[in-house]
Amino acid sequence: MTLHSSPGARNSVAEKAAPARRPPPGRASAGPGGGSRRRSARTWSSAGAFAAFVLPTLTVFTAVVLVPILWTLYIGTTDERATRRETSFVGLDNYRSLLEDDSFRHSLWNTVVITVIVVVLTNLLGIAIALLLSRPGRLYSLLRSVYFTPVILSSVVVSVIGRSILADKGLLNSTLTSLGIENPPGWLTDPSFAIYSVSFVMVWQTLGFAVVVYLAGLAGIPVELDEAASLDGAGPWQRFRAITWPMLAPALTINTVMLMIGSFKVYDQIAVLTNGGPGTDGTATVAFDVVRTAFAEQRPGMASAMAGIMLAIVSVASVTTLRLLQRREVNL
Amino acid sequence: MRQLTNRVAITTVMGLVALTGCAAGGSGTGNSAAGGDVKLSLLTFETPNLTAAYWDDIIARTSAKVPGVKIEKLVAPSAEQRNEYARQLDSTGGLPDIMVAVDPNGLAQAGKLAEFGLGELADWSDPTSNSFSGKVFQLATNSQTWQIYYQKAAFEKAGIAGPPKTWDDLLAAVGKLKAAGIKPLVIGGGAPDGLGPRWTFSQLVANEVYAKDPKWLDKLVSGQTDFTDPLFLKAATEMKELAGKENVVNLSATYAEAQGDFLAGKGAMFPMGSWFPAAPDKTQQEQIGVFTMPTQDGSIVVPTYTGGGLSVSAKSRDVAKAKKWAIEFSRENADGGARNDALFVALKGYQPPSDLPPLYNATLDLYKKGKAAGTVTPAFGSEGGVPALPSGFMVKVDSALTDLLNGRSDVAGFADKLNAGYKELSK
Repeated sequence: MTLHSSPGARNSVAEKAAPARRPPPGRASAGPGGGSRRRSARTWSSAGAFAAFVLPTLTVFTAVVLVPILWTLYIGTTDERATRRETSFVGLDNYRSLLEDDSFRHSLWNTVVITVIVVVLTNLLGIAIALLLSRPGRLYSLLRSVYFTPVILSSVVVSVIGRSILADKGLLNSTLTSLGIENPPGWLTDPSFAIYSVSFVMVWQTLGFAVVVYLAGLAGIPVELDEAASLDGAGPWQRFRAITWPMLAPALTINTVMLMIGSFKVYDQIAVLTNGGPGTDGTATVAFDVVRTAFAEQRPGMASAMAGIMLAIVSVASVTTLRLLQRREVNL
Repeated sequence: MRQLTNRVAITTVMGLVALTGCAAGGSGTGNSAAGGDVKLSLLTFETPNLTAAYWDDIIARTSAKVPGVKIEKLVAPSAEQRNEYARQLDSTGGLPDIMVAVDPNGLAQAGKLAEFGLGELADWSDPTSNSFSGKVFQLATNSQTWQIYYQKAAFEKAGIAGPPKTWDDLLAAVGKLKAAGIKPLVIGGGAPDGLGPRWTFSQLVANEVYAKDPKWLDKLVSGQTDFTDPLFLKAATEMKELAGKENVVNLSATYAEAQGDFLAGKGAMFPMGSWFPAAPDKTQQEQIGVFTMPTQDGSIVVPTYTGGGLSVSAKSRDVAKAKKWAIEFSRENADGGARNDALFVALKGYQPPSDLPPLYNATLDLYKKGKAAGTVTPAFGSEGGVPALPSGFMVKVDSALTDLLNGRSDVAGFADKLNAGYKELSK
């Protein structure tokens, strides 16, 4: 045993410390053949391990997300109809006619209106309710559960409940009538109200999710900041504006992006509450149009083009919003 | 790093190929039920009259007559959505083996339905009434007609002597009912099944369009006319005049709610299909009467659809057995269909049970009168066979009718919407 290591031993230790390090580009490998084979075997081994972890997710993602998306985009460039056997490639014709179609543009507008209402109103109410509920105590725990209940219910169930309240002879109008209002509005049957009624039901369902996210955000704000501001004489509004609101930025980002994506693809609530009405396209959204065009009208080609446009809009809107809100987080 | 990436990619692709192979090898089972029976799916729908128990019973009785078949019952989300649901299943490659009353339009032309030979339909009284250039893809098992049911007590209270015969009589009756504080009509039209107004409009189209020009649909399909045709505009004008929202109990009521409103006496008249007589109870049967939609000259016109039976997927696991089961179902269901769905069974020599409710018999009498007078017409939206309105068009008609009745559209605007929708769907 010697205290001095031989140069060969030192090399061996270095190699063990960095087993996967490869020679710089252009330089020959250290050994004439054996070292290269060992490194190759190790690389294959790590590749296998990597693939073993990635493969299941990649397989599922490819099968249930990527392939259907690509297939849908392809069908969107055809004139496929379930009522005939022949299908031709039509390029971007479907997209062109959709952009010129008043009915589709109306559905797109409805989708935007619903999205804006749901995102803004749910965030506002979510913050307000989270601030009220972010206190210890059994009552507050119970209330948190109550607010979260609509989130765990199916959209169809929530919509059926919403319909029983908002129908012409529903709970709301019966109450208004008993209060002496003779002709209460048709919340779901009057085009002036229907889209707001649908949005209201969606806000009701998604509010619990927003509250929980904001409660988590509030729990992450150090108490010391609030205490220090109080000691400096800051009032509740000043503390909210200078501490709480900026510190809730990540929660705002999550809620906004999730609500936006959810609202853009709304279908269930429309189908149950209004079936796209009242009248022609009263509350029809893009997702609703996709289903109606594909199955009632049996035009998968056109429906796929609609889905393609929806995918593009949701992707651009989500990424843009995410970037903007994350930039705000960094600036804070 | 690039080598590592390549190797990961190669390993991944090999894994995907292996998995695909496993998946392919694993498919193709499950066609046969235990005991060597072939398992066939049957798409049904439930209504207040056609309950789950009703379907289970008729399935069991039919299967007892067709050994070797095990039926897997599928239920559409609602009666009105059964056509869309069948097409959704078709888009996933899962068109049911046998379907009850699913509109064959589109599916037949695309070769997705099995053809019934006329030799198989010797018992049918009018097997080709719903055919596609002579080919039968749906068993024309029953006839359905459209007419107006009315509450006799409401008419009496309003001082109306009897069922109106002419259009002017009908408008006068509407006026008297309103004066007596009674809502003249129940038609429904609310989501999710907003087809209530269609049942009224189809009667007006029968009176003003099909009775006056039996080839009107052929002309529409060939481009010789459109929805601004004076005959069609006349029907639309009458619709607005008769069923504007001021005359209707609740335009947002669903089909089930509308039926409930009428049976509860909330409105005096209920334009509806001939399946309605299965709904009233014994007392209500005596309180309700029926008449055909009055015409300008008082003649009788009966819009009728003959078809609505079972169809079989061309890709059924066993087409022959599926067709055999469907044919046997039609025979076995004859009395049940008449009793529970008030169907006019279109089998040769069929006599309905003697104990059917009076409203069924009164409605059947109107149909017989129409046949005797030679004034049975197609029903708009349920013409059957070809030529036909394009798939999905009646959804646009339903929406446009709601706009018309709510005052959000005039007759000209209504016709323009239909023309635009028809043009789009006929491309």
